[in-house]
Amino acid sequence: MDNRKQLIAPALLALLLVAALVWGYNQNQIKKQHEITLENHYQRLFFDVKKHIENVQVNLSKALVANSKERNVLLFSQIVSEATSAHSKLGQMPLTHAEVANTEKFLNQAADYSTFLIQRHLQGQDITTEQREALNGLQGNSAKFNAELENIQGSLSDQNFLLGSMSKNQGNEIEEANANIFQTSLVQLDKEFSKTPELIYDGPFADQMVNKKPVGLTGDDVSLEEAASLAQDFLGEVSIGGIEAFEAGEHLDESRIPAYTFNVFPQSQNRDMAIYLGVSKKGGEVIWMANPRPVTGGQLSVRDAEEKAKAYLQNKGFSNMEANYSLKYDGGVLFTFTDVQDEVIIYPDLIKVKVALDSGEVVGFDASAYYMNHKDRNITAPHLDEGGARAKVKESFVIDSTRLAIIPKGKDEVLCYEFKGKQDQGDFIVYINALDGSEEQILQIIQDENGTLTF
Amino acid sequence: MKKGEIHLKRFIIISTALTMVFLSIFLFFGPHNPRFLSSNNYAYAERILYWGVQGQDVRTVQDKLLRWGFYDGAVDGIYGARTYRAVRKFQTKHGLKVDGVVGPSTAKALGMPSAVGKTATGVNRNADEYLLARAIHGEARGEPYVGKVAVAAVVLNRTRSSSFPNTIAGVIYQPLAFTAVADGQINMTPNMDSIKAARDALNGWDPTYGCLYYWNPATATSKWIWSRKVTLKIGKHWFGI
Repeated sequence: MDNRKQLIAPALLALLLVAALVWGYNQNQIKKQHEITLENHYQRLFFDVKKHIENVQVNLSKALVANSKERNVLLFSQIVSEATSAHSKLGQMPLTHAEVANTEKFLNQAADYSTFLIQRHLQGQDITTEQREALNGLQGNSAKFNAELENIQGSLSDQNFLLGSMSKNQGNEIEEANANIFQTSLVQLDKEFSKTPELIYDGPFADQMVNKKPVGLTGDDVSLEEAASLAQDFLGEVSIGGIEAFEAGEHLDESRIPAYTFNVFPQSQNRDMAIYLGVSKKGGEVIWMANPRPVTGGQLSVRDAEEKAKAYLQNKGFSNMEANYSLKYDGGVLFTFTDVQDEVIIYPDLIKVKVALDSGEVVGFDASAYYMNHKDRNITAPHLDEGGARAKVKESFVIDSTRLAIIPKGKDEVLCYEFKGKQDQGDFIVYINALDGSEEQILQIIQDENGTLTF
Repeated sequence: MKKGEIHLKRFIIISTALTMVFLSIFLFFGPHNPRFLSSNNYAYAERILYWGVQGQDVRTVQDKLLRWGFYDGAVDGIYGARTYRAVRKFQTKHGLKVDGVVGPSTAKALGMPSAVGKTATGVNRNADEYLLARAIHGEARGEPYVGKVAVAAVVLNRTRSSSFPNTIAGVIYQPLAFTAVADGQINMTPNMDSIKAARDALNGWDPTYGCLYYWNPATATSKWIWSRKVTLKIGKHWFGI
């Protein structure tokens, strides 16, 4: 009797052990399944990238041979799509940014540069000698890239390569060796790419676009103390409980707009609800301001808020601003104001103002775009009259309003006729170049009860 | 006395053993949930509604919840605290994932009408906004407001840089780019502050003046990150180019 009772515990433990083993086995199976799925995914990405790069390389070589603009446009558009796909897939592979930054840049610029050349071709211009050089460089880089991938592919089949294992830093020796082959060769390639000279062209990823400096800031540098008092002046009517500057890094001067950033505590608000401001080092202008206080119960209408915003800008010395879009969110309305000069609306000089709908107080201000772009402009007279420009717009487009505008185009600006109107119940804006009549830009406008978004 | 002690011991052993057997059986059959796969599939680009969103569709949700007794506030079209609580109550009641967000499955359970087709259908910024808010929430929950906007601004600056992916999702999910993505914190429901910060960043506010990197000097594990140039320090984060 007693013996049997003594058996219960071991028996249960044995059962438990069996259960645990089965459970563990099951878990292991699930884990394996996930690993295989991930591995397959990575393998697919690898082979896809390989194929895309191959196509980029071949099409670039063909573009260097092709003589007609029509052929080149087709080839370049294929390069754009192949390079973009390769870029997007490379970004999903288990590689860190540090390892592929320059490779990503190469792919981005290959696509961007091709787009630029397509545009030139469509305008009837030929490829210049420098551009041919640049294409040659891109072709050389894609060939290097392809060769490197070829090498990796070799070791991929040789050693039953596990791409999936690389994202986890496991101590396993074989995996480490694998990681080394894959990563070192790509890192080596990345270093190679970093030596490529800057591409000079007009596109969103061109170096000179990315490294653009503000042209709207003039005057002498201000000290931190001066900037702090300028920040307080800017807030004006708010009674200030304290002001603190965020610590600047040692490379402050290399940021896009070198500026001091402040944390201001109004007396009326909690200490943890600060107002934030940035004051530029050069010229001491307030670049942006944000007051993230909660807004409850807004009675103000959007129209009244717009008046408040306009008065606020007048007060800050921006006299020729016109509100064009508004967006209602988080208890406030955001207005986009642009500069107007001689009846011409200047979109690059853009300031955003956010008004709280409860008190009409301005709770947000952003003039970074304004200071990046603002300069004295000599607006040339349009070569085309309004009727001539209208003839360039699709006939079925129903126009609501027309005016002259300056819009950004790459690193330059162009004078355009702006046609606001409707097509198939959708709202659009069409920009026709006022000098040569080309269709520069089309924006789609999405409107709902909260405001307007442009795409 | 001795006998009693043995009984007690045996009882403890047996009951622990039984619990463990029970638990292991549970764990066995637990993770397989095929419904999980299918329930996410019929998202027809309907707008996702969450805290802070405004509009006619929010009004519809409030009206429905009011009629069914989950909601007691005004039908004003603003997704506030009361709407959030009502949605959570509704989700609990209907066995949905309780997150206070009206996604495709909750919208379906609410019987929301689907949108009609025209040129602008489904074109909006909500997906960007929500993903960005989740990234902020995962990465910079404890930071001051400006630190949150700054983190979002870094994500947006990366999409415009040539050395990074070109989409918000591409940047956020780039392998090993953000710790909150690697450890799954990004999947938490963002709070109001994070959503607000995401909107401000999308509307152009950039407290970092074009920075591409940020890191927490106390926890950063990558040696490489220290080669970046620091331009600004906000809260626990250093921002650099």
